[in-house]
Amino acid sequence: MKKFLKRLLIFTVLFFVVDKLFYIFIYLSPKYQVDNRIEKLLEGEINKEVIILGSSRGAMNIMANQLEAQTGKSTYNIAFPGSDVTFHDFILKTLLKFNKKPKIIIFALDSPSELLPTASINYRFDRLYPLVKYDYINQELINKGDRNFTSWFLCLSRLNKTNLSLKRNSTKFDNVQPDGSTPLDFENPNFKADYILSVGNYEIKDESDEKRKAFKSILDQCKSNNIKLIFAFSPNFQIYNTAFEKRMRQFKTPNSSFFVYDSLNSSYKDASNFYDESHLNAKGAKIFTSELSNYINLNQ
Amino acid sequence: MLFNSLDFALFFIVVFACYWMLQRRLFGQNALLLSSSYFFYACWDWKFLFLLVFSTLLDYFSGILIERSTHKKTRLFWLWLSIGCNLGFLGFFKYYNFFIASFQELLSNFGLHASTWTLQIILPVGISFYTFHGLSYVIDVYKKRIIAERNFVDYGLFVSYFPLLVAGPIERATHLLPQLKQKRTFDYQKGVDGLRQILWGLFKKIVIADNCAIYANEIFNNSDHYSGSTLVMGALFFTFQIYGDFSGYSDIALGTSRLLGIELLKNFSFPYFSRDIAEFWRRWHISLSSWFKDYVYIPLGGSKGGKWSQIKNTFIVFLLSGFWHGANWTFIAWGFLNALYFLPLLLLNKNRNHIEIVAKNRVFPSGKELFQICCTFGLTVFAWIFFRADNLSHAFNYIEGIFSSKLFSLPEVRPSNVIVLILFFISIEWFGRKNNYALENFALSWSASFRWGFYIILLISLFIMGSKAQEFIYFQF
Repeated sequence: MKKFLKRLLIFTVLFFVVDKLFYIFIYLSPKYQVDNRIEKLLEGEINKEVIILGSSRGAMNIMANQLEAQTGKSTYNIAFPGSDVTFHDFILKTLLKFNKKPKIIIFALDSPSELLPTASINYRFDRLYPLVKYDYINQELINKGDRNFTSWFLCLSRLNKTNLSLKRNSTKFDNVQPDGSTPLDFENPNFKADYILSVGNYEIKDESDEKRKAFKSILDQCKSNNIKLIFAFSPNFQIYNTAFEKRMRQFKTPNSSFFVYDSLNSSYKDASNFYDESHLNAKGAKIFTSELSNYINLNQ
Repeated sequence: MLFNSLDFALFFIVVFACYWMLQRRLFGQNALLLSSSYFFYACWDWKFLFLLVFSTLLDYFSGILIERSTHKKTRLFWLWLSIGCNLGFLGFFKYYNFFIASFQELLSNFGLHASTWTLQIILPVGISFYTFHGLSYVIDVYKKRIIAERNFVDYGLFVSYFPLLVAGPIERATHLLPQLKQKRTFDYQKGVDGLRQILWGLFKKIVIADNCAIYANEIFNNSDHYSGSTLVMGALFFTFQIYGDFSGYSDIALGTSRLLGIELLKNFSFPYFSRDIAEFWRRWHISLSSWFKDYVYIPLGGSKGGKWSQIKNTFIVFLLSGFWHGANWTFIAWGFLNALYFLPLLLLNKNRNHIEIVAKNRVFPSGKELFQICCTFGLTVFAWIFFRADNLSHAFNYIEGIFSSKLFSLPEVRPSNVIVLILFFISIEWFGRKNNYALENFALSWSASFRWGFYIILLISLFIMGSKAQEFIYFQF
């Protein structure tokens, strides 16, 4: 047994030494990110008055630089396409931890799937993997069950196979502008320009508890930091979903308000302003952002 | 607590340390293993621990009462009580909804409607495996192949021993119980061998199976959208996924147990190098195949009643084997298909042609052997489509998709890194095919530094290629 344990110990030490060579990948990974906004958050570089939070509807439908020009308030977009409310919650926590707190947060809502379980939006682990050199990110991955405590002392345990590729795998959707927005300035050949005249029912019982908890956490953070929260309803190429708005209004807090796009505006029935059924293109985003700017200016 | 999780590693380190501290106390070692096994099982779902304990007690007392009884009728009563209860639990938890749904579907074919009687039943993990442990034990006692076990700790450990509790190998009392009664001392060579087998099992599971699963799932779940050649790739990925997953699990189980000084039955023996389907079934899930042979095929008469009887019994065994895997017609179709593959061999009396491993005294197979291996592999891949499909219509659509469009085009899904890993895996398996597991003697002739370097590379690949601990496919059975 002694021999066995001795050999096992030597092997473990040797493995531990080899493991340390992999630190190079941890160190190099951030350089190959397609979107460095989370790193900017971690470095405390996002100190703006207005912050746009949400998923693709926030990233693609709201142009931060336009909003800044029209409202006179410095603005940055930290909405991540494909992310869900649990990820937004994490992004907001990170923002508040490492940066100056904003005055206004525009929370772009995903109608109707904000609180519903869906495969199209989720927690963007892939955006965190390149940043594992930050202990804060490592701890978050541990909290989410994606890593375990060994990642505190084993480099290999911190790494993911994507860290080893050392190349930037960007797509045309990773067109992140200096203001953080991601305008869709190209056409979608698969978009069927058929305006949808119906909306499904909204059932509270279908909501995810985890998403509801994260949603409430965002409300609480804004409230405790005295941040004005604007829930933004952006247009789909579909008639307006009042049931979803009604549900969202149930979460109203004293510091929150609701901005709903002008559903009578014919621009939102014009397919040339849309990329697909649920996202505006750059032209449509300009119209929507103008409406939002007016709303902010009027409600100062 | 998955074998490929940190939780299990910590659990095992504690068990291993305590176990060898009790080196001179056999009862203490067995009691420790039994309580650890119950803890291990309770980590899945503590409520089902009661079912496991009840099943263990039932078979334990049935065995004693069968042995004590002198009247044949009384012995038969206890035997059937045990078999009935065991199969009753298995039937209820695993097949109740399947039978009800199938019955309702049958009625609806005749235009009749039956109200829904299906229940929300959770399948207790490992029930198919521990039920078969118990069944083999009482049948062996009844047949007087073994004497009934009086020591409950030993018997409980035979049924619930944690390395084999949730996904086998399906042990026999004749093999495991005598080992539990022997004093066990730590053996350096066995310990090292156990670690090596665990490492290889983890590689199969984490690197091969889990990475193949990504592509197999993508292709099977979206089979309508892919070309024929991609669907073939999907079936190939699943072929390596299920082998890596299940044989990897078995390797970890065997290696873990060897570290505790207990040898378990071999479950896999390089099945994808088989030259015909009979050989494949002597090499795939060996403990289940031999269980069905000993407790179903032979009691049914085996090959004694002539060719027709042999064919009938073979079909029964394959259908039951398919059904054992799960409550879905796809598994039954998979069993039936394998029985069909078997048929020509039975008719031509060629089902025992290939007993030894292929190219035993050579490095490479002959052209004929290679052709036979490829044919058998192709048949196996085809059968796995039924095993993986969600239902029969999905399986038929998948097969139709293979032959309908672009079968000879370049597959849309062809991850080069996974293909390279599979080729590496096949090479190691090929060069290690004469051993109990591929890594058993691999690299032993190398200098220690190279050998350790190789092990470290395997270990690194576990970290890099693995993500969150993925469940083993056979846990659902």
